[in-house]
Amino acid sequence: MDLQNTSQEEFEYIEKYLNGGLEHSDLVKFEQQLENNSDFKSKVENVKTILTGIETQALKEQLNVFHKDIDVISIQPETETTKVRTLNWKRLLVAAALIIAVGSFWYTNGNSNERLYAQYFSPDPGLPTTMSTTDDYEFYDAMVNYKQGDYKTAISKWEILQKSKPNSDTLNYFIGVAHLANKNEKRAIPFLEDASKNSEFALINDAYYYLGLAYLKAENIDKAIASLQKSSAENSKALLSDLND
Amino acid sequence: MQEKNPTLSSNNSFLEAVKNNNPQVLKNLYVSNYPKIEIFVLRNSGSKDQAKDIYQDAFLAVWQNIKQDKFVPQTESSINGYIYTIAKNKWLDVLRSQGYKKTIVTSQLGHFEIKDEENNDIDDDILKDKRLEDVMLAFKNLGDACKSLLRMFYFEKKSMNLIAEELALDSASTRNKKYRCMQKLREIALKN
Repeated sequence: MDLQNTSQEEFEYIEKYLNGGLEHSDLVKFEQQLENNSDFKSKVENVKTILTGIETQALKEQLNVFHKDIDVISIQPETETTKVRTLNWKRLLVAAALIIAVGSFWYTNGNSNERLYAQYFSPDPGLPTTMSTTDDYEFYDAMVNYKQGDYKTAISKWEILQKSKPNSDTLNYFIGVAHLANKNEKRAIPFLEDASKNSEFALINDAYYYLGLAYLKAENIDKAIASLQKSSAENSKALLSDLND
Repeated sequence: MQEKNPTLSSNNSFLEAVKNNNPQVLKNLYVSNYPKIEIFVLRNSGSKDQAKDIYQDAFLAVWQNIKQDKFVPQTESSINGYIYTIAKNKWLDVLRSQGYKKTIVTSQLGHFEIKDEENNDIDDDILKDKRLEDVMLAFKNLGDACKSLLRMFYFEKKSMNLIAEELALDSASTRNKKYRCMQKLREIALKN
């Protein structure tokens, strides 16, 4: 893509052609040149590629801007959205001062359990989903909601399923994990307890780990430790050692 | 009786708006077609990030095809169907190439009825031209002043006079600047 041999005048002329701005007689001459002169032809191709590239890249960057609106429109999980419309500096400063004050108070006197929880918790990424499984359609359908962060919908769909399959470890596990992701450790605990009853359960270590985390959040340290000890997950051991400090 | 899907003539302002990169029109098109694709990708072993990437690739391909008149939609809704088809096929290509064994059995892919003819008609590899990619990368890394100038000319399609006004220059100087920016772009592209 060499513009080296293309002067400004030539470049602007080619541009004019590409934009359909040439008069008929000029157009005919231009097209004849295209046919007869292969160097000229490649010059024109180069300019075309460059202009296309600029436009395409500009649009590509624009798409990311569009995408931000999608994140706003889509279903929000139960977290508050803080959108600062106009910057009120005074208020921000006051808020910042307050946060620093509270933060330092919290940090020195505060709840180390909450901190540990926040450090160690991240939602289970969920199971891979296939489109055409007919027998577990509703399960995977809710899994899609879960992956989108719409824990409420996933929970409601799974809880319906769970009524007809009360002994499904997978169901109990995911309902528990979804409740925990939805910041409701109290409701998570019974489901995770059920899921961890069966030692053959494939996700038993994750179940004990999340159960431990749930108890930690609920400030029940003894039970948290007991559950974590039953999990062979790396994170479990790390959390245990942090808890014992 | 009101037509639900008005047909588009070649002079139709909607098509023209797309070709002229009208931000409102493009944004609506983009935002309204994304959710279906996100659901499709998530249901087929993908993540939200992958859905976004595939969708953006597809969107750009459709836009290029419209600009080059390789795709002339008859109705507005046929554009939606086109975007969906291209994005879907792109995702299936990804799945096939990575050999997702756990979740997709090849026999299940038959459900999606991808015939060879179908793919030949739909050109979704417009952007695979290496030279084009070089230009795009170069533009991405171009300095702010040149980038914004070239963007105004070639993406926003503003007129010379308007741009000259914004830069507080006369049109000759604006033209010169444009040429110099193009040279700069060319330099960066050649370095890749």
